[in-house]
Parts: sequence; structure tokens; C-alpha cells
Amino acid sequence: MTAPIAPRQDSARETTAPETPSQDSRRETMAYVIGVAGWLVPGLGHALIRMWGRAAMCFLTVGTLVILGAGMRGNVFSSAANDAFDWLGYLADLGTGTFYLVARSLETGGPDVSHAGGDYGTRFLATAGVLNLLSALHAYEAARGRKA
Amino acid sequence: MNAGMGFKLSHLQSMLLFALLISIAFGFLSRRQPIERVKYIVSSLLLFLLIGVGIGWAMYPFSR
Repeated sequence: MTAPIAPRQDSARETTAPETPSQDSRRETMAYVIGVAGWLVPGLGHALIRMWGRAAMCFLTVGTLVILGAGMRGNVFSSAANDAFDWLGYLADLGTGTFYLVARSLETGGPDVSHAGGDYGTRFLATAGVLNLLSALHAYEAARGRKA
Repeated sequence: MNAGMGFKLSHLQSMLLFALLISIAFGFLSRRQPIERVKYIVSSLLLFLLIGVGIGWAMYPFSR
């Protein structure tokens, strides 16, 4: 005859005291700071919450995409946008945070989208921005204590 | 970097680089365990390439 199996208990849940409203608001503020830091410098948000692997990955992938995009002479959109698509491109490029300035400084020759490489470069830059925004959102959620 | 130092990549090289970088990023963001990350990265990369080449071939009849 076997002994009855005890129900599984979540020890972390039992030992963790419920947070007070002030702790909750402090945590929320910190999460915002971490999210903004993650947007400004790719990977910084994750680094602040000691997720080193994700921080390094974010910095390297966003950085590589920006360097490749600018090197392929993709279009780095500016605030002098002509239409909605230019604005969307500008917003996507701004998603890279300070790397937007890096892209602008790297691309001294201006964009050249007359060939496929330049067109790919434009997509690389926009993807770097959107990826960095996703990463910053991930860091924000992780800082709030959501499963990440 | 000046214009003379620009990268010259083919369509396939660009697509491969793009797929690899995005797969790595997604793998690290969505999975925690190293083995799960590797599995995710490999499957995501293969799907990127399969769908990319598939769409390329699907557009072939309309390219002429």
C-alpha cells in the first residue's frame, strides 16, 4: 500500500509576503525606468534586472542590424517625413533609441535604395527598431514581475 | 563609415542574415533554457527560410 501523495505546494508563493501599495507603485516606477532605459540603449533594460544573456543578445542583434542596415545604405528616416509611410519608418527607426544617431552618423553617403541592398538595409533598420521596442517591453514586463 | 565601405550582399545573404538575427533574438526573448532556445532558433530559422523561398517561388509566375 502506498502512502497518499501530498498536494504540491508552491513554496515561493507561501513565503512571499503580499506587497504594500507603496512597494507596488515603486516597482511600477522602476519598471517604467527599466523600459525606457531598454529603449534608449538596447539591452540596458535587461542588464538592469540582471538578465545578462538577453541583454547581450539584444545589444548585439540590434547593433548588428543597425550597422548592416546603414552599411547597406538603407533609408534612415528623419522627422522631415513626406507621407504616412515615412512617418511609420521614422517611428520604427526611432525604436532603436540612441542607435538611431549611430545609424545617421554611419550613413554619411546617404541612402541608396535604387538597388536591392539599400532596400534590405531600410528593412534591417526598421526591424532593429521594432525588435528593440519589443525587447524594452519584455524588460518592462519582467521588471513588473510578469513571467518572462 | 563612408559610402565606399558599404556592404554588398545578395538577396539570399541578406535574407539569411535577417532570418538568423531575428531567430536568435526571438529565441532568447521567448525561451529561458539553453536547449529550448537552440531548438526555437533552429526551427524559427528554418521556417523563415522555407516561407521566404516559398513566397519567392509563389511570386515567380507574376515576375515576367
